[in-house]
Amino acid sequence: MAQRAVWLISHEPGTPLCGTVRFSRRYPTVEKRARVFNGASYVPIPEDGPFLKALLFELRLLDDDKDFVESRDSCSRINKTSIYGLLIGGEELWPVVAFLKNDIIYACVPLVEQTLSPRPPLISVSGVSQGFEFLFGIQDFLYSGQKNDSELNTKLSQLPDLLLQACPFGTLLDANLKNSLDNTNFASVTQPQKQPAWKTGTYKGKPQVSISITEKVKSMQYDKQGIADTWQVVGTVTCKCDLEGIMPNVTISLNLPTNGSPLQDILVHPCVTSLDSAILTSSSIDAMDDSAFSGPYKFPLTPPLESFNLCYYTSQVPVPPILGFYQMKEEEVQLRITINLKLHESVKNNFEFCEAHIPFYNRGPITHLEYKTSFGQLEVFREKSLLIWIIGQKFPKSMEISLSGTVTFGAKSHEKQPFDPICIGETAYLKIFFTGHVNVIVT
Amino acid sequence: MGPLSRDAWAQRLGAFRASPSAFMAGPEGEDLGRDLLGDLRSEKLSEQTKVSLLALSLEYPAQLWPDVSAAEVAATSLLDTLVLLPPRPSALRRPLLLAATTALAAGGALGPTSGASCRLLPLLLGLAAGSDLGRGFVPASEQRPLQATACECLRELESCKPGLLGGSLGLLRGLLGQEGPVQPLSLLLALALRNTLVLQSRVGAGLGGLLTDKVSPTGGGPWDWTLVEEGDGRLQPQAPSWPAAEEGEGERSLTAREHSPEEARELRAAVIQLLDTSYLLTPVAQAQLLWLLGWALRGLQGQPPALFKPQLVRLLGTAQLTLLHAVLALKAAFGEALFTAQDEALLLRRLTLAAQHPALPPPTHLFYLHCLLSFPENWPLGPEGEEAAPLLLGPQLCRGLLPSLLHDPMALLARLHLLCLLCAEDEEEEKGHLPSPRHYLEELLAGLRQRAALDEGPRALATVCFQASYLVTRCLAGQPTVLTPLIHGLAQLYRVRPMLASHFVDFLDQVDSELREPLKVVLRQEVVSRPGRDEALCWHLKMLAKVADGDAQSATLNFLQAAAAHCMNWDLQQGLLRVCRALLRAGVRGGLVDLLQVLARQLEDPDGRDHARLYYILLAHLAGPKLGVALGPSLAPPALASSLVAENQGFVAALMVQEAPALVRLSVGSHGVKGPLPVLKLQPEALEPIYSLELRFRVEGQLYAPLQAVHVPCLCPGRPARPLLLPLQPRCPAPARLDVHALYTTSTGLTCHAHLPPLFVNFADLFLPFPKPPEGAGLGFFEELWDSCLPEGAESCVWCPLGPQGLEGLVSHHLEPFVVVAQPPTSYYVAIHLPPNSKLLLRLEAALADGVPVALRTDDWAVLPLAGDYLRGLAAAL
Repeated sequence: MAQRAVWLISHEPGTPLCGTVRFSRRYPTVEKRARVFNGASYVPIPEDGPFLKALLFELRLLDDDKDFVESRDSCSRINKTSIYGLLIGGEELWPVVAFLKNDIIYACVPLVEQTLSPRPPLISVSGVSQGFEFLFGIQDFLYSGQKNDSELNTKLSQLPDLLLQACPFGTLLDANLKNSLDNTNFASVTQPQKQPAWKTGTYKGKPQVSISITEKVKSMQYDKQGIADTWQVVGTVTCKCDLEGIMPNVTISLNLPTNGSPLQDILVHPCVTSLDSAILTSSSIDAMDDSAFSGPYKFPLTPPLESFNLCYYTSQVPVPPILGFYQMKEEEVQLRITINLKLHESVKNNFEFCEAHIPFYNRGPITHLEYKTSFGQLEVFREKSLLIWIIGQKFPKSMEISLSGTVTFGAKSHEKQPFDPICIGETAYLKIFFTGHVNVIVT
Repeated sequence: MGPLSRDAWAQRLGAFRASPSAFMAGPEGEDLGRDLLGDLRSEKLSEQTKVSLLALSLEYPAQLWPDVSAAEVAATSLLDTLVLLPPRPSALRRPLLLAATTALAAGGALGPTSGASCRLLPLLLGLAAGSDLGRGFVPASEQRPLQATACECLRELESCKPGLLGGSLGLLRGLLGQEGPVQPLSLLLALALRNTLVLQSRVGAGLGGLLTDKVSPTGGGPWDWTLVEEGDGRLQPQAPSWPAAEEGEGERSLTAREHSPEEARELRAAVIQLLDTSYLLTPVAQAQLLWLLGWALRGLQGQPPALFKPQLVRLLGTAQLTLLHAVLALKAAFGEALFTAQDEALLLRRLTLAAQHPALPPPTHLFYLHCLLSFPENWPLGPEGEEAAPLLLGPQLCRGLLPSLLHDPMALLARLHLLCLLCAEDEEEEKGHLPSPRHYLEELLAGLRQRAALDEGPRALATVCFQASYLVTRCLAGQPTVLTPLIHGLAQLYRVRPMLASHFVDFLDQVDSELREPLKVVLRQEVVSRPGRDEALCWHLKMLAKVADGDAQSATLNFLQAAAAHCMNWDLQQGLLRVCRALLRAGVRGGLVDLLQVLARQLEDPDGRDHARLYYILLAHLAGPKLGVALGPSLAPPALASSLVAENQGFVAALMVQEAPALVRLSVGSHGVKGPLPVLKLQPEALEPIYSLELRFRVEGQLYAPLQAVHVPCLCPGRPARPLLLPLQPRCPAPARLDVHALYTTSTGLTCHAHLPPLFVNFADLFLPFPKPPEGAGLGFFEELWDSCLPEGAESCVWCPLGPQGLEGLVSHHLEPFVVVAQPPTSYYVAIHLPPNSKLLLRLEAALADGVPVALRTDDWAVLPLAGDYLRGLAAAL
């Protein structure tokens, strides 16, 4: 399992090429093996220019979507994974693992240790998952704590040296590139024996363990018969263990608050040494009943040095934290909208921020707006046909707020206004963003 | 040239990276490799610059040092540079080791005859073992990083030359047990162990003491290449693809030999040692270890797969893609031996969960979905290699994996595939309390079509809709309850948004006839039921060119007639003509003649008029099959990517006469002597069925009057043909060569022209008898002719050799029809008429045993040498 080459490409719509190769690295020893293994079906790794063009075309990121192109739009070219075949110079380079995130396209080509015709099933190619892990690792490195373009450029310039550590010959040694960074920085520190490869040094100082829990609530409220409202909590438990010794053993145990919903769909960090089978099987796939495992959730582990995500989980909360009501009526040239929001009493009325986005799709720019709100302020983005209702840090004592008004739109100009294939006519939504603090008891 | 400055190098490297091939073709290309090696030792360049030079050599050794000898020289130079480094910490040691390894492995120089290999290998092994290499070669602070690097280099070399480290297994195992860095040593040992197992069993040997022998193979002596040579340098897949491994040689060779109990114990101990410390490896490295060990132990006697069991629970809990993938690989390798049915169910549950977990990124979801559909089941029901829903993955588990319009295209298609598989199974089962998957599917497809129908929607929305429809037709073929609504939905989509015609045409091309034919019918109805004048006309015409056929002719023609009035520009006219062409091909004649006549008069564009006229002429003059060929896809590959050129080339190919190799053979048969002219009897023979054969003959030298062409309606190979009679009208009595051309139509309707080998008309082929004299008057008749030859003519005597059959045989065989007076067996008088008006008279008398003297007279001097040759040649011809 190895990678033949890896690329980072920034997607720049509107420019002539629609993108630039920001970083690329080839692995000639792996390429040599590919030539032998693939035999007659071998397709060499192209130079950056042709690769960029072929990849952007395949990912539909070129600006020429207007015409039907069979090699891209044919109904039989079905792609169900982020793994592509790129047509380059009449030959197809496969498999190319690629995805777009934050305007950067991450791409690599895993080695397939056999002939490519017939194509082996993807699942049997060991390099594919490694390729994904590699690209995720680079993505984590580039975007952890990164704020602006110059920081991104600095990190990009560090990549060649880091890959010399983390992936010198195309076989990935560590997806956590920060470990490699630490390795280069502290190469002179003599490491003790039997050091885990994922732990680059040892901690000296006062022992302490800090844990934080972040929960994201995703709720969809339709207020319509026949369609059930949904809400789900996605939680992340983040740990930082400052403990002396090479391999300190720690057990972290999570307990639910009284009447708390059980944790489900638990995925743990690889440093967790063993897992209770009840944790493994507790899943949102099953219908909820009283027999669901409700803790305590015990995670014995040997922590790495850095902060890490101990586990992810989901949970079914009994009610949504904010209950919404949104009504829209089309009245000749204008839209009449009414919005009511109600904060649930179990939620602490203290936010870092809370705002409601009210987008209008498939219409022209907002030309006229009359509104009345019981609380907060309304920001209008006329060209984007968007209203943002800034609610702030707190709901009023009544816990209920409302907004009503009429909006008039100008003529549609195709380029600028947002298009949505679903929000047509009176189908619309409003989206509430907020961050708050929830009391969590950790034992 | 002296060393370049840092900036000059930066510029040069930048230019190279922008396009390596262009740079290497340029003036600086040739020197780059040499300059790079030289400047690595320059004292003017900083270490950072040198590292960037080495980084380049790590990526492009094939460009810098294109052949084996150059790679060898480069590796030697890199090793020299390494040795010459001053004994203080330096950032160059690591990249130099990597670069030397890369140069040797990628350049193909690695081998027992390579000096650089013989230096590098012991050096790497020494570094990996942490032994003292003397002279302060490795500063203490660099020892551990270099130890790890050396392991990585060795692993890469072992990957490229399996068996290289077979002799060092014991040493590596010892190092792992003591103080060495865990991850590099574990991975190196696992790979070397795997390769050794494969290679040793191929030659029928066991592991022997390899696992316990802790002596360094370099102990002063040369490197041991035996195992590498036994493996013929063949690469070993480290993680073979599953189906390949099923039948692959690797597996057979692994099971070929049982290990002795001693060996088996040592092997098990080594594997347990590796697995026990696997927790210390990074997740990606753990995954590699599991793939390697899993496939190494597969099928090995005395190595229970249960060794892996302690690791599994820990691995199942994580969300790491590589780890779960490695578990699936173990599952594929060992099946039921490692995973009970309950384990399989748990694994499926975890995969289902991971395929939709909100904390994971979308590419991971998609990969897990793929894993679900290709899940290596213990007891798969379907055929190998086909995507299917695993048996234990019931509708309950799949509930969260149903597609919805909110998903992005790839997720939607992946989930749709799963849904289709559920629908396919659902057919056999009773309807449960859950909403029927088929109903769900129908609603989803309707939603997709609705989205595709949006006026301003991007093309991607339409593409997804058609991809989904295609996926459904492929998975649920033969299920009218699904296909019928699909057909009507698509027809409705076309009605709303005809500009998707290209997608429809593509869709019709891809699906099989079960869906294509009914869909064509409804789409044609959609088109022709609409008066053609709106802006969608060009799409309608495009659509109609695809779906028009012999059915519903009048409606189609009415539509076209109405449309013709609105086809004002070239585009539309061409579209219209394309439909006419499609109708022509489909064999529509009646109303089309009128339409084409109208178009040939009425179209504004001269090109359009010409085309219409051409189609009209074709329709009027060509029979159905020929028309089909003329209008079919172009036979000649188009020289230009223009449809017009391609079309014209199609016509040219179909309507013009093609030069072709001869498909017919002619031979001259025995000649008969009837009638007033000599007649050549030809026997034709065809190699393939041909029709309307016309044979044209040309006489060289105008010796005869021009010959009539011969016509044959049909010739089939194997069916005897009637001989063809070719009457000759000689202008003088001489043999001649006939040039023959054949013109014929093949069964595909092409008209071909071929040049056949020439035919020869012999002197004897021109012989005609004189009218028979009355009974008894023969002698007088002959004497009269004989006397009439002189004095204008000529007289001669020729010795005609005789064969075993004697004179009688000769005459009966060659001259029978021309004998006027015969007194067998001694005397024959022969009179031959040679058209146009010459005679040849022969007296054959007083034969001896070996020949007969022939007295001959002719009234034409020119005949004399021909007659002489003819007579002398007779005996040979007998």
